Amino acid sequence: MRIQTRAVVAAPLLLLLCAFAPPPAPTAAKPPCGLPVIATAAPVYNPLAALTNLDGERFPQGAQLLLIDHGKAQPLVSGFAATADAQVYYDGMRVLFAGKKQPSDHWSIWEVTLADHILTQVASAPTDLVRPFYMPGRRMIYARRAAHGFTIELAAIFPDEPVPAVELTHIQAPALPVAVMRDGRVLFEAGFPLGTSLSQGAKPELFLVYADGSGVESYRCDHESIANGRWGGQELASGDTVFTHGTTLARFTSPKAVEQPIHAPAAEYAGQIAETQDGAWITSTRKPGGRFTLVLMHPGSPLQQPLFVDPARDHVEPVLACTHPTPKRHPSGLHDWPTANLMALDVRQSRQGDLATVPPTVQLEQQDDNGNPVVMGTAPIESDGSFFVKVRGDRPIRFTLLDPAGKPIRAQHGWFWIRAGEQRICVGCHTGPERASENHVPLVLLHTTTPVDLSGLATKPTAEAK
Amino acid sequence: MRRLPVLFLISAALVAAITLVRTQSVHAGVTPAAARAAAAANSPVNAHTSRSDAEINIYASPLELLLSPDGSQLFVLCQQSGDIRVVSTATGRTLKSIPIGQELRGIFLSPDGSRLYVTSSWDDTVSVVDTHTLAVTARFSVKGEPSGVVTDKSGKTLFVANRLSNDVAVLNATTGDEIKRLAAGRGASYMLLSADGKRIYTSHIYPALGAHRTVPQSELTVISPDSEPGRAAGPHVVDRMPLHLAAGVFHIAQSADGRLSAVAHFHPKNLIPLAHLEHGGALANNLTLFGPDVDQAVGGTIEVPLDELDRYYAYPFGVAITPDKSRILVTHGGADVVTVISVPALLKFAHAHPKGFAEDLSASGNYVLARIPVGKNPRGITLNRTGSLAYVANRLDDTISVIDTRTSKVLRTIALDTPKAISALRRGEQTFYTAKYGFQGHFGCSSCHLDSTLDGLTWDLEPDGFGVDIVDNRLLEDIRDTEPYKWNGGNPDIPTECGVRTEKYFWRSENYDARTLADLTVYIMGIRKRPNRALPGPGKLTPAQDRGKVIFERTVDNFGNPIPELNRCNYCHSGPKGTNQKSFDVGTKKWTDRSGLLDTPQLTSIALTAPYLHDGSARTLEEIWTVYNPHDQHGRTNDLIKDQLNDLIEYLRTR
Repeated sequence: MRIQTRAVVAAPLLLLLCAFAPPPAPTAAKPPCGLPVIATAAPVYNPLAALTNLDGERFPQGAQLLLIDHGKAQPLVSGFAATADAQVYYDGMRVLFAGKKQPSDHWSIWEVTLADHILTQVASAPTDLVRPFYMPGRRMIYARRAAHGFTIELAAIFPDEPVPAVELTHIQAPALPVAVMRDGRVLFEAGFPLGTSLSQGAKPELFLVYADGSGVESYRCDHESIANGRWGGQELASGDTVFTHGTTLARFTSPKAVEQPIHAPAAEYAGQIAETQDGAWITSTRKPGGRFTLVLMHPGSPLQQPLFVDPARDHVEPVLACTHPTPKRHPSGLHDWPTANLMALDVRQSRQGDLATVPPTVQLEQQDDNGNPVVMGTAPIESDGSFFVKVRGDRPIRFTLLDPAGKPIRAQHGWFWIRAGEQRICVGCHTGPERASENHVPLVLLHTTTPVDLSGLATKPTAEAK
Repeated sequence: MRRLPVLFLISAALVAAITLVRTQSVHAGVTPAAARAAAAANSPVNAHTSRSDAEINIYASPLELLLSPDGSQLFVLCQQSGDIRVVSTATGRTLKSIPIGQELRGIFLSPDGSRLYVTSSWDDTVSVVDTHTLAVTARFSVKGEPSGVVTDKSGKTLFVANRLSNDVAVLNATTGDEIKRLAAGRGASYMLLSADGKRIYTSHIYPALGAHRTVPQSELTVISPDSEPGRAAGPHVVDRMPLHLAAGVFHIAQSADGRLSAVAHFHPKNLIPLAHLEHGGALANNLTLFGPDVDQAVGGTIEVPLDELDRYYAYPFGVAITPDKSRILVTHGGADVVTVISVPALLKFAHAHPKGFAEDLSASGNYVLARIPVGKNPRGITLNRTGSLAYVANRLDDTISVIDTRTSKVLRTIALDTPKAISALRRGEQTFYTAKYGFQGHFGCSSCHLDSTLDGLTWDLEPDGFGVDIVDNRLLEDIRDTEPYKWNGGNPDIPTECGVRTEKYFWRSENYDARTLADLTVYIMGIRKRPNRALPGPGKLTPAQDRGKVIFERTVDNFGNPIPELNRCNYCHSGPKGTNQKSFDVGTKKWTDRSGLLDTPQLTSIALTAPYLHDGSARTLEEIWTVYNPHDQHGRTNDLIKDQLNDLIEYLRTR
């Protein structure tokens, strides 16, 4: 992948010019929050295509970013065969987007300034790069199309020196970023169970991961309610996250472990929404047989006000060209190890119902490069339900609880990963984010501080056994 | 031509502004050197004037407050300025300031409303204020750092919780004569007289000293203020209500009918490796409910989480229950909000979950009605007679929030007279007490350094490895010239200790900018040492302390054998702070430790800082020598008899 750096040279000059130039007009410096709206217009919108097929296209007949203001639309940029996936920088002055100059090109990542339309390609590769999002510190994430579908990467925008992108997702199935949460984590959509694609029967689901790829988990674990799949999404000023469940809107809210319904006019809703400063939402909705149209609505109100109507194209993924809060930067605490440590506090605990007895062992499987499961070994489980293992980092893994005869009692249906150098604790086996840990020394740590090595790599123990 | 200089000046100003903004907004990679330099510039002690920042700017720091019986006046305990402000509830104006003393902590209005009792924790006094004349009419001496204070229902007997001596002093409320002491929990601090006057509840902020790496235990000491014929003469302890898993226990409230009580506290997760913060990984901020209503619902006490899945409400401190028992209000000193709980919804939820729900982060969504943003570091809370208004003391912005409890809205904010300029020290204190830097507001410095001290707990920090290098939390008083910090001596200064390391392994979220880190450093370096109560007078020692000092400095053991210099107490524990700032292996390495080489801790206020040793394995000073020093590596002590050990302890208590 190539990160272009031409702006580095221009930056000092620009800074000088900025310092001595007259101050910009207020409207250019800080666009009013609410309008204009930037949205993607497309003849065909297939939002889940990239989660379904390895070569799936969300916009199979092309797409175009529009700047929509007071009922009028104009292309955000010119000279492109296709543009999509706009994201506005925190100062409201720049837009990151995916674009193709020629129809045969791969999607690459571009940035344009809103005031003077300076256009720069910030990342390209011999594959598609889509769904870019700004991250704190002039960094960005995006989805890169790989052999197993899209994977999410973090990279610097205009690095002083070329730096390798950091892969955030480590599954052999597609994953696409949806939003950056204010706590600095990345909200992404992928198949559930994680590590499987929609073509394998998975449902789309929302997950969270830190900006260094650690701490991956389901946003919520009420998976039983996702018959139609959850996708898209945007964090509101209140901290709630609104997303699309099937074709309707729903929300996650901090006090609740399960999704909450949103009472909105009957229509089909499409993914990402935008929230104005006064709390109104701009969404894409369509009636049966119609096109996705941008509407302004107030939560709880039956009224929807169309913002722009174009019967020839769908209009989706609206964003506001205005300032918005910078998310918190995640300070990566990953160690410089090829492996990762994982400890479970009590494997009996689960949303599926707590186990009455402690299984004697837990088995680790890891996916090989072809996606085949490989048994890496087993580890004993202490009488309090705790175990402590070392696994290989950045690989899809899953655990199975075994009975004394070695038969599975409970198994993870999907795959997850731990970043190389990560140390992680699970409260139980799929207890859900609502379950806090209990305060006691896990029995396994009273016996040893050395994890059972299931990494398949010969590494020295980091501490001694009692 | 004439415009050129103007243009130049504007441009230069713009460049400077850009530079300043850039400097202020740099978050990543704040260098300790930058913060050190900034901290030095903001040092709390100005070398030229010898006037400290704190002396130049004395802030009111309202900590507790009470309403006069007619509701027309607020009595506001101002911790830092050391006075009681009498504030008109009608106008918000301060009517009078009544000077009291140092580090005020507790306030209570006599049942007849005629007297106000105020504890001055660093003066070891309780002041009596006549509420009609607003004059101090008496000062009672109460040793042991008086904190919470109440009277019995008659107003004749005074009860004072003492944080340092871990007891409740019982005094004649008229004369101040001490009648007796009753043992309470470690760090006894907050008190409540029950609605019927038959019980006094006392909480404590440091957990009991239990076995190493076992769960924290606290208690509510329940006192009967009256004699019980045939059983006890005078006030006596009738119960020690266990608060299993709680540490850092603060205010207690009771409903007007006496059937529902609530106490605010932390529920630490110190025994689990601190690998990440989601799922309540470090601390929970909880209430415990007790009383007949709770018995009826669940058959005992019940712990009630106040946190949510994605948001935490740090430092639950003040509690109030409305007279109609419809709501409980809780202040959160780290989250700058007041939580409003529906009592019926809470009791219904508790009844439906009789096995408890302390670990359920989705529970609070069933009974929390509102989270009301207030000022910085909200602490004490009081209600008017009808319960329609709540007054909240915002300690670190010197304001009082007035809340309409029916609408859960702040009606107005009363600003107290206080310096307008916010000093570096004050900004640092605000940073110390906020939880906003922790991931999802999980916790802040003060969550583990309660009232800028310690929490009495040991923690399993992640970077060393799971279960490796268990560490005791250390006191922050007077730590200047005790560096390096951290038990392994790895951090040469506070900017290193509290900068990138804290960001990565504690907050797990974006940390301060360089200026904020510098302010925080100024505050931490300025935390004062509390008065030493063990000293009989300036430059004096008791005979036992004198004997202990001789042992501390001895060069020959009880058998006449010379003690090698390296094995004398005063070699490592040398200098005014009791540390030579070097690391040694004194034979205390456990199988969980990577190294036995450990920083020599300072001896400042050592009587307060149990448990001892790097991993908190010694519950008492004596255990350091009698249990954990079998080979005399930690000084020559195995020749000492019990009386000598006691003398040595007596001397150490003077440090």
